[in-house]
Amino acid sequence: MTRRWGEGPGIFPRYSVRDDVRKELDSHVALRADELVGQGYTPEEAEIEARRLLGNGAEIMRECSDIVHEHHRAERRARIVDTVIQDVRYGVRAVARNSGFALVAVLTLALGIGANTAVFSVVNGVLLQPLPYDDSQDLMVVRETTSRGGTMRVAWANFLDWRDQNTVFDGLFAYTSGSTTVLGGASPVTAQVATISVDLWSALRSVPSRGRLTLESDHVLGAPPVVVVSESFWRNELTGRALSELRLEVNGLQVEVVGVVPGEVVFPSGSQVWLPIELFPQSPERSAHNWGVVGRLATGVSMERASLEMNGLTQRLVAFDGVVDDEFLAAGAVVTPLQDQVVGQAQTPLLVLLGASLLVLLIACTNLASTLLARGATRLREFAVRTALGAGSARLVRQLLTESLLLAAGGVVAGVAMAVAIIGLLRTLGPQAVPRLDEVSVDGVALLYAAVVGVATVLLFGLFPALRLTRGDAVESLRSGSRGNAGGRGNRAWAVLVGGEVALALVLLVGSGLLIRSFQSLLSQDAGFDAIDVMTAPMALSRIEYPHGSDHAVFYEQALDELASLPGVSAAGVMSAVPMGGGLPNGRLELDGDVDRRAVAGYVVASAGAFEALDVPLLQGRLFDRRDTPEQPHVAIVSEAFALENWPNESPIGRSVTGGGMDDYWEDRRFAEVVGVVGDVRFRQLGEEAIPTVYFPFTQRPFRLQYGAVVLVESADGVAESVGGALRSTLQRLAPDVPLDLDTQQGVVGASLAGRRFTMLLLGGFSLIALTLSVIGIYGVVSYAVARRTREMGIRLALGADAGGVVRLVVRSAMNVVILGLMAGTIGAVAAGRLLRGMLFGVGPMDPVAIGIGVAVLAAAAGLASWVPARRGTRVDPMLTMRAE
Amino acid sequence: MTRRSLEFLKGTLDVVILKTLSVGPLHGYGISRWVRAATGDDFSIDEGALYPALRRLEKRGYVESEWGTTETGREAKFYQLTRAGVEELDSEMRNWERYVEAMSAVLGSASLP
Repeated sequence: MTRRWGEGPGIFPRYSVRDDVRKELDSHVALRADELVGQGYTPEEAEIEARRLLGNGAEIMRECSDIVHEHHRAERRARIVDTVIQDVRYGVRAVARNSGFALVAVLTLALGIGANTAVFSVVNGVLLQPLPYDDSQDLMVVRETTSRGGTMRVAWANFLDWRDQNTVFDGLFAYTSGSTTVLGGASPVTAQVATISVDLWSALRSVPSRGRLTLESDHVLGAPPVVVVSESFWRNELTGRALSELRLEVNGLQVEVVGVVPGEVVFPSGSQVWLPIELFPQSPERSAHNWGVVGRLATGVSMERASLEMNGLTQRLVAFDGVVDDEFLAAGAVVTPLQDQVVGQAQTPLLVLLGASLLVLLIACTNLASTLLARGATRLREFAVRTALGAGSARLVRQLLTESLLLAAGGVVAGVAMAVAIIGLLRTLGPQAVPRLDEVSVDGVALLYAAVVGVATVLLFGLFPALRLTRGDAVESLRSGSRGNAGGRGNRAWAVLVGGEVALALVLLVGSGLLIRSFQSLLSQDAGFDAIDVMTAPMALSRIEYPHGSDHAVFYEQALDELASLPGVSAAGVMSAVPMGGGLPNGRLELDGDVDRRAVAGYVVASAGAFEALDVPLLQGRLFDRRDTPEQPHVAIVSEAFALENWPNESPIGRSVTGGGMDDYWEDRRFAEVVGVVGDVRFRQLGEEAIPTVYFPFTQRPFRLQYGAVVLVESADGVAESVGGALRSTLQRLAPDVPLDLDTQQGVVGASLAGRRFTMLLLGGFSLIALTLSVIGIYGVVSYAVARRTREMGIRLALGADAGGVVRLVVRSAMNVVILGLMAGTIGAVAAGRLLRGMLFGVGPMDPVAIGIGVAVLAAAAGLASWVPARRGTRVDPMLTMRAE
Repeated sequence: MTRRSLEFLKGTLDVVILKTLSVGPLHGYGISRWVRAATGDDFSIDEGALYPALRRLEKRGYVESEWGTTETGREAKFYQLTRAGVEELDSEMRNWERYVEAMSAVLGSASLP
C-alpha cells in the first residue's frame, strides 16, 4: 500500500477503516508500553503486556469497521459476504484445530445420514415411486375370493367371462410366469417365460422396439406359435440376430420371434419371453386357479366401483353353474392396486428398517449434540472473552453454526457416499427379498433428503449448544476464572443426551435381537427333511425331443440309475418340486374309491430316491419301487398329516386316493392304492403347519415332470458339493440341451429365508452402528468430564485417595445415567417388539433373552467406554495437572 | 487491590468519553488513562470497547478526530468534542442526575412498603 497515513479520511473516500484502526491501536500499545517501561518493565515485556491488556485487536478492528460502514448499504452487503467468508475461515480453522473431534463428528453424521439415505432411497424407489408403467395407478389386480375370506388366483373360465362382461376395465389380461428351458439361442438357456393373454400389451401400453407385439390372431388355439422377447434377452441370448432368422423352442413349441419389447422393467417382473396362453388348451373348470389377472381401470372408474362390479359378476357366474358351497369355487372377487401386490410383502420390513434408520439418525444427532456441547464448554472462555470484547451473541451463535454447517457438509458428503455403498450391498443381498430393487438408486430426491436431514440435524443440534454457550453466564464463568461450565445445567443436558442415546440404541439392539432369535428358532424347526448333504438340479427337458410323459419317465429312470451308481452318491431321486423350492401345487382329490369323498392335499410326483436323499422317514408301508410300472396298479404315498386327517383311527395302507384336479387321470378318476406313509415335510416355508400331501411315483404319473423337475443327489460323505461335479457331468451327457443350474438343498432353503435374512441383517447392522455411536458418545462425554475434573482428581489422588476408588466414582456417575437410559430403552424395546410382532417367529415381543442380552451388551460397552477414559485420568501425574491450571 | 474494579453500566461509556473530552482533545489511550486516574482505579475502561465507542460517537457527529503527535513524540489520533457533542454531554448529564436522584430515592428509602 503506497497511501500514507495522516492524510485524513476525507481525501480518500474508500480508505480502509481497518488500517486506520490498526494504526490507532498500535499507537495505543506504544503509549501504554512507554508507561509500563516507566514502571520497570523491559521494552519487550511492556509491549507484550500492553497488547494483552488491549485484547483481541482483530475483533476491535472489525467492530470499528462495522460501525463506520453501517450506513453504506452496498458495503453492508459486501460485509455480509465478507463475514460469511470469515466465519467459514474461522470455522475451518476451528474444525481443523481439532481434527479428531471433526473426524468423529463427520463420521457420526455420515453413519446417521448414510443409513437413512440408503433406506430412504429403497423406500422411495420401492414403495413410494409409482410402478414404471404409464398411469400405473390405474393398474389393478383382480383376484377371486374364497368363502373363508382369503383370495386365490383366477380360473381361466372366470377370466374369459370377466373379460367379456365387465364394464370397469379397459384392458384385462391373464398371465403366469415360470422358468423353463428355451432352445434355439446361442446356447440352451433357462429363461423366465410369461404366458399371457393379448390385452397385456394394451393395458401396460407397451410399444415394441423392434417387430410387433402379439395380436388377437396369435392368441388362438392352433395359431402358428409366436413369442415376444425382452430387449436384454434378444441381445444377450439371441445375440441380436434378425428376428426372421430366429426359431426357438419354448414349452414344447417351435416358435417364431415376432418382436422385442424395450426396457429394464417388464411385467411380470423378470420376464424374458412372452407366449400366448391360447396356444395351449385350458381347463374349463372354474376351480382351476392358475392365473394372475391384471387390468387397467377404465376412465373415471374407481377401484371401489370396479371391486363391487367384479364381485357381483363373479357371484353370478358361479351361481349360474348351479354348484353351491364348494370351497374351490370363487365366492366373489376383489380388486386391489397392482403396486400393493408387487411391493406388498416388502412393505412392513421396509417401514421397520426406515424406523430403525431414523433411530440411528437420532442417536447420531444426540451424539453430535453432546460432543458439540462438550467441545463448546471447553471453548467457553474463548467465547466469554469475545463477548467481553463486544462481539454480539448473534455473531457467536452464527460462528458456532458455521462450524456445525461445515461438519454437516462433510457429514452429508460422506453419508451420501456411504448410502451409495449400502445400496450396492443391498442390491447383492436383497433381490430375492425386496422387489424393484433394481429400480433403486440414490437419486436427486435422496440427495435432497440427505441434505435436508444434514442441515436440520445441525440446526437443531448445533444451535442448542450454541445458545447455551452464549448466554450471560458465560461472562460470569470467565470472571470467576473457572475452566468451563461445571454447573448442574450442563450435566443435566448431558444426562438427557447420553441416556437418550442409550435408550435408542437398546431399542435397536433388542429389535434386531428379536429378529435374530426368530431366525434361529425358524432354522431349528424340524422341516421334516435333511438338506445338509443334498445337491439339486432343476431341469426341464425339451418337450419336442421328449413329447410324451413316458419319454420323461424313461429319461429320469436312466439318469437316476446312473447317478445312484456313482461313487460318493448315497441316494438319487427326482421330484416335481423340492421343499422350499417354490411352492406346492395343491387341490382337491377323492378318497376310498368314492368320488364324493373328497380331501384337499398337496400334490407331489417323486421317486423313492427322493425320500432317501432328503431322509424323509418312512413311517408305515413301503416307498415306491420297480414294481410300480405304468401297467401295474397305481400306488401313492401319503404324508402323516394326510393320514391323520382322513383316516384318523385306521391304517391308511390299502386305502385309495385319486390325483384329483391336478391329475391328467382326472377324467377316469383313477384311484391309486396307498402303500406307504412318510413323515411330514414343510414344503412352502419353515415353521408352517404341515400341509397334508400325497406323493405319486413318477413312473406312473410322469406328465407332472414335463414342465420341470428337480433331480436330487445325496452325498455319501455328507458334503453336498462333493457330488456336484458328477451330477453335472452325468446330466450334461444324458441331456446336452438342458441348461443346468445346480444348487444345494441347503441353498434352496436359505433362499426361502432371503426376506427374513435381509431384514435381520440390515437391522442387525443398524443396531451395531447404534451401539458404536453410543459407545463413542459415552466415551466422549466421560473423557470430557474427566478432563474437566483432572484438577479435582489430582487433588484427591495427592491427598491419598485410592486410584481405583476415583475411577469407580467416575464410572458410577456415568453408569447412573446409562442405567436410566437402559430403563427407558426397555420400555421402548417392548413397544418396538409389539410393532415387530408380525415378523417374529417362536419368540414373543417381550422376549426376556433378547432384552437381557441387549441390556447386558449395552451396559458392558458403556462401562468400558467410561472406564477407559476414567482410568486414563488417574494415570496423569497429579502435580502436572494442577500446574496446568 | 482488594476492591473489585467496576464496569461501566451499559450505555454510560459514551457519556464518560464525552465528559473526558470536555477537558480537551485526547487520544484513545489518554482517555483510558484519564478515567483510571479520575476514579482512583475504581473504574476501568474495557479498551476493546473504547475504540468502537469512539467510532460510534464520531459517526453521530459528537466528536471529530485528527492524527497528531503526543508530548512523548508518538503518533496518535486525537479526539475532540464538536458542538453537537457538547450539547449531547449536557443533556446526558442532566439525564444522569435525574436518574441518580430517582435511584437514590428508591434505594435509600428506609424500608419497603
